[in-house]
Amino acid sequence: MTELVEEFYDEPTDYVEDEALGQIVDAMWASYFAHTEFLLPSFDQHDIEGDIFCASVTISGARPGIVTVSVERTLGLPLAQALLQEDGELTDEDVYDSLGEVANIVGGNIKALVPDAGPLGLPVVSTALPLHGASDRLAARLDANWKGQWLTFEVWLAGGNGSENVGG
Amino acid sequence: MKALVVDDSRAMRKIIAGALRKLGYETVEAADGAEALKVLEAGPLPDLATVDWNMPVMDGLTFVTQVRANRDYRALTLMMVTTEAEHGQIVRALAAGAHEYLIKPFTVESLEEKLSLLGLLPEGVQA
Repeated sequence: MTELVEEFYDEPTDYVEDEALGQIVDAMWASYFAHTEFLLPSFDQHDIEGDIFCASVTISGARPGIVTVSVERTLGLPLAQALLQEDGELTDEDVYDSLGEVANIVGGNIKALVPDAGPLGLPVVSTALPLHGASDRLAARLDANWKGQWLTFEVWLAGGNGSENVGG
Repeated sequence: MKALVVDDSRAMRKIIAGALRKLGYETVEAADGAEALKVLEAGPLPDLATVDWNMPVMDGLTFVTQVRANRDYRALTLMMVTTEAEHGQIVRALAAGAHEYLIKPFTVESLEEKLSLLGLLPEGVQA
């Protein structure tokens, strides 16, 4: 008689939680955006839709993941101007670079919380949200308002066996 | 005093270089480790290089390793300025020859503190 063997994966622990993500974003804001309006976190979700920028960095390793920062496209320029402390016209490259660096700073600090993490990928900025696998888990999310517009920070980690390519 | 700021992000180069210039440094910039090596080859040798870890072409750890392998660059002080916040990464960087390690996000005050520890605050500047 053949026995049915079920494989049980441990329920994955989310090493990263909303509070940790919030602290990292707070620290970044205090360091580089303190001269601008406060970033106001919200308990409600505000999905960024339509014409957007999404900056992301991937975390490789035993529990791969992706960290994203999404904003409406119209927020890209003011965010870059604030980071660069330049009021004038900026190039698209400056905007992508600034958004990418924001994702990079958040992602690098998130990576430090994930056990056995491998290298951090280079930042990628796109006009669409990344696709996620069925078993990927949203480990942490922060919705925050700046200058009357929303930013969404998300951390996705691979599910159970960690073999997925999150956001890939 | 002269500093070489190595980071693939123009925004971050501007932030670091701006903070260093306020302290009295002259700055030169490079977008990756390979470009930074060319700056060093061209001379003159800066007093300090701030080095990001994750960069295309040549990453910061490779750059640090290559700098430390060249006796002509012994006088160059290397400070990693990176988001790589794990203890293990800090140890790796210091073992490769970096003198100091500053985690992004950083404040201007924390940068000054590190420079003070390294004895690289220009005269008249106090951390």
